[in-house]
Amino acid sequence: MSNDVIIEVRGLTKEFPGVRALKGVDFDIKRGTVHCVVGENGAGKSTFIKILTGAYRRTQGSLKFNGKEFDPKNIREAMDEGISVLYQELNVVDDLTTEENLTLGKETSKFGFIRKSEGLDKTMEIIRSLDDSIELDMPVDQLSVAQKQVIEIAKALSADCSVLVMDEPTASLSEDEVRRLFLTVKKLKEQGITIIFISHKLSEIFEIGDYVTVFRDGNMIGTKSVPEIAGYQDIGSCPDTFDDETVAEACTELVRMMIGKVIVQGYIPSKSDYSTRLLEVRSVSNKRLSNVEFDLFKGEILGFYGLVGAGKTEVARVLYGIDGYQGEILINGEKADFKSVREALDAGLAMVPEERRVDGIFGQMPIRANIPLMRMESVLKSGLISRIKENKIADKFMKMMSVAAKDREQEVAFLSGGNQQKVVIAKCLNRDADIIMLDEPTRGVDVGAKEEIHGIIRDLANEGKSIIVFSSELPEITNLCDRIVLMHDGKVGEIMKNQKDVDVDHIMSVVAGG
Amino acid sequence: MIGKLKLPRFQSRIPILAGIIILMMIVLTFISPNFLKIQNFSNILLKIGIYILIASAANLIMITGNLDLSVGAVLAFSGILHAYMCKHGVPIPLSIIITCVVAVGWGVFNGFVVGKLRIVPVVATLGTMYIAEGFAFLIARWDGGTNIMLGLPGAYTRLGRSMLFGKIPIIIVLVVIVAVVFLFIEKKTKLGRFSYAIGDNRSAAKLSGINVTRVIIILYALSALLAGFSGILQSSRVGLAAPNVGRMMETYVLIVCVLGGTKMSGGRGTIIGVLLGAAIIGLLENGLNLVGVDYFYQEVARGLVLIIAVLAQQQSGSTRS
Repeated sequence: MSNDVIIEVRGLTKEFPGVRALKGVDFDIKRGTVHCVVGENGAGKSTFIKILTGAYRRTQGSLKFNGKEFDPKNIREAMDEGISVLYQELNVVDDLTTEENLTLGKETSKFGFIRKSEGLDKTMEIIRSLDDSIELDMPVDQLSVAQKQVIEIAKALSADCSVLVMDEPTASLSEDEVRRLFLTVKKLKEQGITIIFISHKLSEIFEIGDYVTVFRDGNMIGTKSVPEIAGYQDIGSCPDTFDDETVAEACTELVRMMIGKVIVQGYIPSKSDYSTRLLEVRSVSNKRLSNVEFDLFKGEILGFYGLVGAGKTEVARVLYGIDGYQGEILINGEKADFKSVREALDAGLAMVPEERRVDGIFGQMPIRANIPLMRMESVLKSGLISRIKENKIADKFMKMMSVAAKDREQEVAFLSGGNQQKVVIAKCLNRDADIIMLDEPTRGVDVGAKEEIHGIIRDLANEGKSIIVFSSELPEITNLCDRIVLMHDGKVGEIMKNQKDVDVDHIMSVVAGG
Repeated sequence: MIGKLKLPRFQSRIPILAGIIILMMIVLTFISPNFLKIQNFSNILLKIGIYILIASAANLIMITGNLDLSVGAVLAFSGILHAYMCKHGVPIPLSIIITCVVAVGWGVFNGFVVGKLRIVPVVATLGTMYIAEGFAFLIARWDGGTNIMLGLPGAYTRLGRSMLFGKIPIIIVLVVIVAVVFLFIEKKTKLGRFSYAIGDNRSAAKLSGINVTRVIIILYALSALLAGFSGILQSSRVGLAAPNVGRMMETYVLIVCVLGGTKMSGGRGTIIGVLLGAAIIGLLENGLNLVGVDYFYQEVARGLVLIIAVLAQQQSGSTRS
């Protein structure tokens, strides 16, 4: 392993209107290594990758590639210079054969007929060196995801790439396929390719990584060698593979870097009634969840915490009737068997979805028309929409949640993120459900609105509603929730009671998989 | 995130459309001495009346972000079916009821294919268009010709040619009723509100518990019912049913809706816009006729109007986002 620097990042900054996604980042990536990049959503890692691969242009700072200033204007330019990306969404065409996929866009034709591309032999050789089970005439839809990835990698290599960015390549792979991908990664490394590896599964870093860079809030928190993170000061004494205990400890250390210092300050216990069990979830499993069990009591705020991909949103989707499951869900002691959102709503649940733009707001409709949509009965008078009732309800919620808008007729698309979120929450509250789920209730919301939303959630619990908050922000969970369900890899790691001096270190080690 | 961004509220296109209509009328008054005659206006109204009847419901479908291209074929099919039944001894009122029920069947079929099977509306309703038109030709052939005219009972034309107070043609009366009903649906009913919500954000509509499939099926059924009844009315007025009378009707309806400000991607549009859009198309055709422009040039003009209308919509859309 030669140790010269292939990519040098200095003071790299990216600003979007109102947001600084990268705040002056410095670090190096060494040639021929597997360099892992980790961080929670919004930490800045994808912004960095997009600048590196030409999808975004930087605002400030410098990026050197092979010692030269590097500022690709688009993805094609970055590829020509030798930086390619293996996207999570693969760009293969399922209906074509391997060969056709490899030559796609590079066909040479004679008299209108497609001729075999000359570069094909070279690409095929690359494929064979990575995975000898792939044949040229195989239709791609018969290949596994890992095999499709090999085709994509071979395409990149045949374009003479020297840096390959892998964006969550293991997200949709089975365990067996992950092994095969890692074998491929090792082969690539032997060929001198530098790999930038992005993953939310921290333990993978200790199988294939050489270095790891942690991002948080647009800053580079640290770049360390993997042995160093694992606790080996001197690389010579470091074993080839780490034992489980070392990995668990090292993952916890990474989580600490990813999350930073958590100040628990605002926790106020709700007036929960622990004798009334509203919701019982028993050994619920599906593709992404295994054996999830928990209870929800009247008037409590239950928090779900875990890293990205731990399965929080999946739990919400099951409870809201979007995804199927095996296992049992009881509401008020009775078996609930709902297969659609409407049935879940009828059973007394309501949800504020994670992505408000995609799943929450009706942007072209005024605030007044948005709020009653989950319970039109609230604005009907002899079966017809009453403008007077609509206005009343809109005014009530806009006052209660202090929505900042010109008036109730303002279209929701023109509100700020925080106010949009308040409208989505108002729509959910107007449902008057007993169980209210909020998935990332304050994502992309400014500090003031965040406090207000937290206040509303506390009030609801004290009025006797049962709340479930799903969040990837630990302070939100520790400030708000009475009990916390810690999730890791689709499983419930632990359910703990919150208190003023909650053991944050312990939380981090559980969500890191320890 | 973008806290203090202030954007103007969506500017209604109604004043612009009204302005265009007034301008067209002024120009036509000067160009042709025949324009300002009652007979001419009556002709325009009769012609656009059918468009409005059909477009009223098709417009609501467009507001949900879907499309109904089968209206013309359902209109032709219903005319033929009604004529066939009347000719072969079915009492006229009963024939009207049966025809309307069958028409609703076409709509439910459309709604099921689009809403439940999730087939792209353009393709699904194009399929229905061919099937319905095919059956229209088949029924005409069973009757023994290419269209049905001879042998219809004397009372066949009574409905289509009836006048309110002896002066106002039935179509005009129906247009007024339909306009009021749809204005009411849009503003006052769950169906209307849900249609806008689905067109605005289908996923959020689902997560809010709106039965998206049911709304879509109801709207297609409504659209087919109006197309079917229009078919009965038209065939009754001219005393003849032909299987090809609905051709290009769907494009007229599309032009009328788009001109009236209905967004192809859904979420926006009103019946008022449809009325104004139909008026513009009616005046345009009338004007070109009065000036003596060849029919094929009129087709060219119609195509250009459609493209310009969509373009205008995209322009106003892009400044918003």
